[in-house]
Amino acid sequence: MLWKRQIPILIVSLIGFATLLGWFFDQPTFKSFVDDDATQWFDILAAFAIFLGGLNLLKLQTQKVLMKQKGWQYSLFAIGGLLFAIVAGFFVKGNPEVAWGAHVTSKGTLFKWMFNYMVSPMQATMFALLAFYVASASYRAFRIRNFEATLLLSSGIIIMIGRVPLGSYISSWFILYLLVLVGGIVVNTIFKNKQYTAIAVLSGIILVTVAGSSMGWPVDKPAVFYLPYLQEWIYRYPNSAGSRSIMIGIGLGIFGTSIRYILGIERSYIGE
Amino acid sequence: MNDREFLIGSGIFAVSFIIYLFFGAPYFITGRLVMFLSIVLFSGILIYSTRKAQRGEDIFLRTIPGLKAVEEAVGRSTEMGKPVLFVPGISDMDQVETVAGVIVLGHVSKMTARYETPLNVPVSRAIVMKAAREACKESYLVEGRPDMFHEDMVHYVTDEQFAYAAGVNGIMVREKPAACVYMGKFYAESLILAETGNSIGAIQIAGTASQSQIPFFVTACDYTLIGEEFFAASAYLSDKPELVGAVKGQDMIKVIILILIFLGIILRMLFDLGYLNMSILELLTVR
Repeated sequence: MLWKRQIPILIVSLIGFATLLGWFFDQPTFKSFVDDDATQWFDILAAFAIFLGGLNLLKLQTQKVLMKQKGWQYSLFAIGGLLFAIVAGFFVKGNPEVAWGAHVTSKGTLFKWMFNYMVSPMQATMFALLAFYVASASYRAFRIRNFEATLLLSSGIIIMIGRVPLGSYISSWFILYLLVLVGGIVVNTIFKNKQYTAIAVLSGIILVTVAGSSMGWPVDKPAVFYLPYLQEWIYRYPNSAGSRSIMIGIGLGIFGTSIRYILGIERSYIGE
Repeated sequence: MNDREFLIGSGIFAVSFIIYLFFGAPYFITGRLVMFLSIVLFSGILIYSTRKAQRGEDIFLRTIPGLKAVEEAVGRSTEMGKPVLFVPGISDMDQVETVAGVIVLGHVSKMTARYETPLNVPVSRAIVMKAAREACKESYLVEGRPDMFHEDMVHYVTDEQFAYAAGVNGIMVREKPAACVYMGKFYAESLILAETGNSIGAIQIAGTASQSQIPFFVTACDYTLIGEEFFAASAYLSDKPELVGAVKGQDMIKVIILILIFLGIILRMLFDLGYLNMSILELLTVR
């Protein structure tokens, strides 16, 4: 019990306190422990742990091949890839002029070849898939289902168009005319009367035309309807307000969780 | 420690710190004094709320749909005879989100042990693999089903971000889990994972404090724990008084922060108008 409960909690509390206090005290030995030594300890532990990970991967994939489980053919590639990386990293440099260690980043070596022509393209392929996933996710998010989704759709469109060069060519008067038409839809939905709708739309068009003619049709005036300004406003104010409130919540959550670990209140990580 | 001892301890700490400051506070970075005092005060509030909860005070914890749905998701997997997939993010144990994710995994694995549902936890860091294994092992022991636990339910895939995403996607497409739970720190792979999960028709629950990934999860998952909800998950799922008390303490801190924000705005306004000589921004800026 002592080794599985009290000692781990004590280590977490001590190291947690030390790390926290390291931010407030400028004592060189203490600072170097917190800033360098402790993080290096973690790196060393992680370096050793990678063996465990590698062995686990090898074991599982080999089992899959031996037992001919579903999709075992893919495991051959996983095992092959792992062994090839080990060979390229530890046994075959591929370029005798390059020293061991430097061969990982130097040109003309087997490891660098593997990285440039296998790892990078495959990573780029996965990353490129993100574009299609964004498209399908956006389609679902922008479907008009309720008020919030409509709000999201309209702000999304404004930000997308406002941020591309084309957006700056769209006159605010054009947006005003569009708004008059949208207003017509609203009037029609409320009153369900063609005459009222026609009057609303016509008076709106006349009003916008008169205002535009008197002001000389400037592209960016009234600024509130000019997309580049509007998107900037959405991005800077409603968006910042929302994201900052989430940020404060996250900060508090991290603070609360860390203090719970340091004080030994949260003990779930040791299975309690 | 009773209340009296707690108060005496706090008093001794406060007096010692004042004496330390009086003697010139050697090695202390005075530019961070406000931050230090805030941490001490907020920690005090957390301890106070925890102690109150431990004494048996009834604390209301609002329903978090995402956490309520965890049990529903495990139940669904059981009915369909399919596994539950748990993804604890792609960061190491030095990130508090990963630790929080592993803690939630402990609760999820208790449910899978109870319902005898297969659990699959692919991880991207070897240390996370060890920690997650321990969490699952303990849960299966606590539920009295150590026979159901096998080490390979938590397995290492790779450290590489997109290779990991590809590996987990492969598992999703092949095994077709009925429930996918994403709890931890995520980056660009979040949407790749969540969209694949969506395409196989799994019920999806995500929780992260990675602000830029929250919109992706909200779009592609059925339930998302946003920011602090994710950190409250352990308290909610365990229902332990000390953890629930800490969540209440966090809410109290939030109220204090709100008051301080309003106070800060007023003080700054007074400074700008020339009624006050002290700039609140100067005082609060951490150096």
